[in-house]
Order: sequence, then C-alpha cells, then structure tokens
Amino acid sequence: MIKKKNSNNSSYIYVLVYFILWVVLFEFILPVNSILPKPSIVYQSFSDLWTDYHLFSNYLSTLSGIYISLFVAYFLMQISCSFFIKGKTFLSDFIGSLNWFSKFLPGIVIGLLFIFWFPNSEYIEFIFLFVTAFTSIVIFVESQLEDLQMEYLDSARSLGADEPTISKQVVWKMIQPKIFLHILELNTYLWSLAIAFETIKGGSGLGDIFRLALKYRDLSALFSVFLIAGITVFIAKSIIKFLKNKFAFWS
Amino acid sequence: MVDKFLIKLENVSKDFTGTAGAKRNVLEDINLELLPEDSGNIISLLSSFGSGKSTLLKIIAGLEKPSEGTVLLGHKFSKERNNEIIYIPEKPSSFPWLNVEENIKFALKEVNNKNIVKEFIDMVGLSGYENHHPNNKSLGFRFRITLARALAVQPKLILLDDPFKRMSNETKDEIYGLVKSVGKNYNIAMILGTSNISEAVYLSNRIYLMKKNPGIIFNAIEMNAETMKERGLSRHDRFISLKNEIEKLFSSAGENFHSQ
Repeated sequence: MIKKKNSNNSSYIYVLVYFILWVVLFEFILPVNSILPKPSIVYQSFSDLWTDYHLFSNYLSTLSGIYISLFVAYFLMQISCSFFIKGKTFLSDFIGSLNWFSKFLPGIVIGLLFIFWFPNSEYIEFIFLFVTAFTSIVIFVESQLEDLQMEYLDSARSLGADEPTISKQVVWKMIQPKIFLHILELNTYLWSLAIAFETIKGGSGLGDIFRLALKYRDLSALFSVFLIAGITVFIAKSIIKFLKNKFAFWS
Repeated sequence: MVDKFLIKLENVSKDFTGTAGAKRNVLEDINLELLPEDSGNIISLLSSFGSGKSTLLKIIAGLEKPSEGTVLLGHKFSKERNNEIIYIPEKPSSFPWLNVEENIKFALKEVNNKNIVKEFIDMVGLSGYENHHPNNKSLGFRFRITLARALAVQPKLILLDDPFKRMSNETKDEIYGLVKSVGKNYNIAMILGTSNISEAVYLSNRIYLMKKNPGIIFNAIEMNAETMKERGLSRHDRFISLKNEIEKLFSSAGENFHSQ
C-alpha cells in the first residue's frame, strides 16, 4: 500500500539536514571559501547589517511594499468584484490582454520601465507591486469564472437573489479558497519582483542591501539577507495558510 | 383572481446548439399542467439519463428559456425568475461558507426574524446545528439545509432535480419521509426529476414518463388512493406491480430502462 507523504515534515527535515551540512562543512571543513560563508561570520554579520546596511528600515520597506500592495489589491478586488464578475467589460478585456503579454514578458521588464519613467519616486515600487498583484488577481478571478459550480448559482437565482448579491455573496465566496491559493503563489512571485526591482533601482529595500553586498563582495551579508528573506516568505506563507483555513475553509 | 392552475406548460421545446453548430432538440412539445389541487403532492418526471428532465425543471424555474412554447405560473407568464418556484439541483447547493442559520437567512433577505429561521430549522430536524457549516457534512445534512432554505421563501412549487441520487439508502429513507411531510404540512406542490423507478413510485402522486432524443412526455400514471383501491392490491404488491408496469411502458416506448 502506498502511504501518503507528509511533505511538510520531509521539507523541515531537508532544511535541518542542509543547515547541519552547512555548519559542518563551512565552519569546520572548508572555513575559507568563496561558495558559502562561515556560519559564525554570518552570525556576526547581523550586527553589521543592522548598522552598516540599515537592515531594519530596508526590511520594513520591502515588507510593507509587498504586503500593503497585496492587501490593497485583494480588498480593491473584493470591492469591485461585481464589476468584474458581471461579464466582459472594456477594463476586463484590457486586463485580459495584459495576461497575453505576461506569457512572454517577465514582470520585471515592466518594473524596468517604471524605474525609467519615475527614477526618483519613493512610491514607484509600491505602485509597481500593486499593479502586478491587482492584475494577477483580476486575471485569476476571470479564469475562475469559466469554471463556477452552477448548483450554487442556480440556487441563488431561484431564491430570487439579484446579480450584485450573487456576485458578492455567492461567486466571490465560491472562489475564495482558490484566491487564497493564488495569493500563496503570488507572495513568492512578489518577493522575487520586489528584490529584483530594489536591486536595480537602489535606494531602499532588501534588494538595495543585495546590491551593496554584491558591490563590496560581502558574501556573509548577501547570505544573511537571503536567510532573512527566506524565513519571512516562509512565515508569510504560514500566515496566508492560516487565514485561508480561518476565512476560506470550504472546498 | 383565482388561479386555475399552479403551473402550465404549453408546447415547450428546447434546442441547444453544439460546438460544431449542429442543433440538438432536447425537449419537444412538452405540455404539462399542475392544478391547485396538486398542492401538497409530489409529481415525478421519470426517465433515463439525458432525456431533458433537468432542462425542463430549469425552464419551469425560469433559469432557462424555452426555444418555443410558454410557461404560465398561475395566471401570469413565468418569463422572469419568480421565487414562488424554488429549484433544488442534483448536487448539494447549501452554501458551504454560511452556517445553517445564515443559509436560511440568505433566502429571507431583509427579514431577519429569528423565529422564522428557527421554525424551518426545526422542521428539517437541524435544531442544535444552527452554527454548523455544511462543508464536509453528509448529503442528507446538506439537503436538509437546502430544503429549509427553500421553505423560507414560502414557495408554491419546489422543483427537485434528482437530489437523492447520490444519497445512501438509509439517508434516502429519512429524507423521503421529510420531503413528503414538508409538502403536506406547508401545502407545497413538488416536481421531482428522477431516473429511479422505485423512488418515483414511492414518493409520487402522479408520474410522467419521459423518453429521450428528443425529450417528450409519452405517458402519465395517476397514483391516487382510488386508483390503488381499484387495483385491489396490498401496499407491497402494488409497489412491485407498478414498477413492472412502468418498466413495460418504457419498453413498449422503445426505451431501455431498468428499475433500481
């Protein structure tokens, strides 16, 4: 009999094994190398990150840019869902056309244009991330409209519900679990885009630390920020999963 | 104005156009009439799979438009949706994001009377489960919510689109009793679309037999008490005899249809 794998547990074991390997290999066997930094130096570099690289403000900048844009995109979609759900409109067609472009153009290319157009704007990163998140959610919602469970729609119509009520209280609710799964994927994608954007633009964010660390060949800073970003993405995913189980528990 | 009938279908036909552009005649020339005396009764549409029962029920509910013919609700044309008629689909349709009480309140809209909600929850046997969500609950549990929600609208007619199909035999027995008593207590007529002969014989006061390609009604069997007495049969014998009779009628109409 094939036993169902507990993928979460095995992932934690892999992480632990990699961590032990890193400590043993790079602390004791290969302390001087240019592949990965020595664990004790990484530990010490956190204080340098705090002072020399302004870790706290840069971390907050990236974090707020990603999650404020994500939540604003989600709530804006919630407010305007009946507009997108009621059928094809010029705006939905326009956003649908962006979906076609997104198949061929990496999102960061649009980010480069944003940097070119507004090189000195403080808010351009937030605008770029918001546009990406909102467009992605709209495209996802529209794709879900082709595969709705008709029994809920027929029941609601039969009970005399009007179309705005059906959009907000039936269709929007029906697709919530899938939207949360999409947000889980979007979370990782937005992190990649934000760091790439900040690395190219400079000025603030974890990407700016990456840029400086690359410039000064500071492997321990590079690796430390990599760890911080990875742990944050992991925590954010856990929070999104918790919210899904709390607010979109149905299947 | 006193209604002469609950619902009347005159020469209703329905065509669907396939992906290749070919027209498929799903229903042809359906004539059906439910009188005010049918209130409290269950009328079945019995046929094998794919004969247009669901389409016909959706047309009656106003969820689909007929290609030809008219559907009259009482003295009015039933072109628009009208919550005097409630459609209950085959798949569970209680909203899983709402609990039992909220599902019923959805039907009540502005009226937020706890006593009304409680009455319907009690009626379907869900007292004590008001805060439970239908997600991951049994089909019987979910059907009870759907039925309570339908009753909350105070309809004249409930359309049951084969909702018992996937239920276990034990659940079916409980739900059959519930549906019968609800119909009688609230004086609501019900039309049941089913492909289960036993179910139709057990529940119905009248059975319309349908054949497919295109879907037509080719016979009707009255199941009232007088008809049963005339036959002079015991309850069990009557049940078996009717099942056999229906199978023969399908067979003579060229339909390959076997009793479940």
